[in-house]
Amino acid sequence: MTIGLPQYLVVSGVLLALGLFAIVTRKNAVAILMGVELVLNAGLLNLVAFSRFGGGLDGQVFALFGIVLAAAEAVVALAIVLQVFRARRSVDASKACELKE
Amino acid sequence: MLTNLLAIGPELVLTLTVVLVLIADLVIGDRPARRGSLAVLSFAGLAAAAATFFLLPDGGPAAFGGLVSGDGLGVFFRGLFLVAAFFGVAFGALSDEIPVERFGEYAAMLLATTLGMSFLVQSQNLLMILLSLELVSLPSYVLAGFRRGDSRSSEAALKYVLYGAAASGLMLYGFSLLYGMAGTLDLSAIGPALNAKAAGGSVGIRAGIALAALLSLAGFGYKVAAVPFHQWCPDVYEGAPTPVTAFLSVGPKAAGVAALIRFVVIGFGASVATPPAGGLPWPVLLGVLAMATMTLGNLAAIPQDNVKRLLAYSSIAHAGYLLMGIAVGTPDAVQAVAVYLPIYLLMNLGAFLAVMAVRAKTGSETIADYRGLVARSPALSIALAIFLFSLTGLPPLAGFIGKFYLFAAVVKAGTPFFYVLAIVGVLNSVVSLFYYARLVKAMFLEASPDGAPAVLVPVPVGLLLAILAIPTLVLGLWWSPLADLAARAAGIVG
Amino acid sequence: MTDPIVSAMVFYALAAFTLVAAGFVALSGNIVHSAFALFATLFGVAGLYAYLSADLLAVVQMLVYVGGISVLVLFAVMLTSGLDGPLTSNPTFRLGGGIVLMLAVAAAAFVAATAVPSGVESAAVPTTAAIGDALLGAYVLPFEVVSVVLLAALVGAVTLARGYKGGHR
Repeated sequence: MTIGLPQYLVVSGVLLALGLFAIVTRKNAVAILMGVELVLNAGLLNLVAFSRFGGGLDGQVFALFGIVLAAAEAVVALAIVLQVFRARRSVDASKACELKE
Repeated sequence: MLTNLLAIGPELVLTLTVVLVLIADLVIGDRPARRGSLAVLSFAGLAAAAATFFLLPDGGPAAFGGLVSGDGLGVFFRGLFLVAAFFGVAFGALSDEIPVERFGEYAAMLLATTLGMSFLVQSQNLLMILLSLELVSLPSYVLAGFRRGDSRSSEAALKYVLYGAAASGLMLYGFSLLYGMAGTLDLSAIGPALNAKAAGGSVGIRAGIALAALLSLAGFGYKVAAVPFHQWCPDVYEGAPTPVTAFLSVGPKAAGVAALIRFVVIGFGASVATPPAGGLPWPVLLGVLAMATMTLGNLAAIPQDNVKRLLAYSSIAHAGYLLMGIAVGTPDAVQAVAVYLPIYLLMNLGAFLAVMAVRAKTGSETIADYRGLVARSPALSIALAIFLFSLTGLPPLAGFIGKFYLFAAVVKAGTPFFYVLAIVGVLNSVVSLFYYARLVKAMFLEASPDGAPAVLVPVPVGLLLAILAIPTLVLGLWWSPLADLAARAAGIVG
Repeated sequence: MTDPIVSAMVFYALAAFTLVAAGFVALSGNIVHSAFALFATLFGVAGLYAYLSADLLAVVQMLVYVGGISVLVLFAVMLTSGLDGPLTSNPTFRLGGGIVLMLAVAAAAFVAATAVPSGVESAAVPTTAAIGDALLGAYVLPFEVVSVVLLAALVGAVTLARGYKGGHR
């Protein structure tokens, strides 16, 4: 019953799958970003687990940078979400979408 | 230490320029000539960055313990990006879509994107690749949403950031698996390690490598706008301010292509000439992606009425042509990609500059408003026609030379699959003639709509058009200097 | 962590907590619930980092992710209630496709998890000092680049967020 690498990989795999599910199915922009955070955490957990099981310190350093990148990305993404919200409300709320496929 | 710093000299100068532009923007405030002085400052920074190329250490050793590579591929593309940034800043300075009080921020964001692209093409390490990709992405999201209070622009930014964040998340997961299986972040060591693993490995190992590689491709595919990561592209290109669209369509795309070459061809050592790298059939995989990308881009471009959207699909199609070269992966093919990208930069920037000039006078981007443009603005129409025919790949224009090199490399690969790929590519070029020619026909053969304004091109815009159009003509007839430079980038000659 | 049984139970409890919370993030119909569940998920991941004896990362996860990003997300949820639609224009395959995709990815991840050879577990020693050395040694260039990334993100966010009444500052 020892906890090894596969257990962590399974946890991160489920996190990845849930995150992807949220990204694909959600319509709300903030909810999609939450899905992205799950995917990012899955990757970061992988890195730290690999680092513990034979990968050396590189993985932990990578994960540290990954957290910082996630923060930077979240700041810009949420600023854009707020901007869209303001533009929509102040311009025309009934038009759901102007750029069509 | 000094060698290390000299190796990233252009990047250091660019960083300094970003900071100086931001400070100068605050200092100048609302004084007149704000736009001009900030543009001149940016140009000076770009020129200084270009000058530091002469200080680069000889022989291109890897700097910072192998984190960045100083090889020819990196140097070639870093130079190209400085050119792209020059035009990006110039377009922004000349466009009324970038308000004067925000031009400083525009220039700073654009230069920061350039800095990221510059780091991206020389990154030899998974961490550096992810970091510089984010440095490309974050400012480009902001640029896409630059028309404030315009819901189309902010919607473009939202789509860009959502797809981009998802792609970089998947890429991080892919990288984490690569790190786990290879035990290192160094790109040059990952390829051999995975090849060794795949050689004697189980089905599970191969599945793991395939998963890691595919997820990693998501990040690059997104930047290049390759199928199936292209959905953001038409919306962002249509919604973003035109100077931003022009820059995004050449800068980050070229950076993504170069990074993909480094990742697949140099990192994994994948090409038609070598056994499957990491147990994966890279040439066929990328070849199929190339086919899907160019076919979808060209077919979707046909019914478009908005010129920016049409050019967006056309840029997806060009990503497909470029992917063909990466799929082949031989030095010849890398040289072909390196020939194609500068030419693509000239003609695509030129087409967008013409769109910008028309929009400035008519306020419209639809093809219907281009009818009879030749009577209203002959020089502009002729320049736009040159760019469009060059994008199609008709001789004797530069686009033909680019395509010729690419198709030659694909045919030289010599397998049935690549013959099919070449045929698909040629058929696609024929399809593309259809929609480019539709725009040309509207300009030259149809009558102007009633009351359509004359399109007078301001002198600086005319100058830039000439700067872009003349090489598009000349390179079609005399391309050997470019081919030599590209050969050096591909490492064919030292 | 002396007794392996207790140790394993702690791990499974942490993992279950994390995944159940993540399930709420992905599946809950109420976005405010999702936001709070994200809070819990990130907390659980921090616990897993601590369990992996990545002490610095656990702390950074708490400070940056739990304390920063999830609060930011929560604010965004509160400020933009009812912001949907921007993606409805895309012919994205929705629920069915999402389930297929989720199952496929999970299957692939399980295959990878069973196949990746596990190295030797390193000793549970504090890694903070070594990471600090790495940041100012081998990884000094990424350290500088990430500072530029943060600068760009900061300026970009301010650019976007500044009020848009007229051009005068």
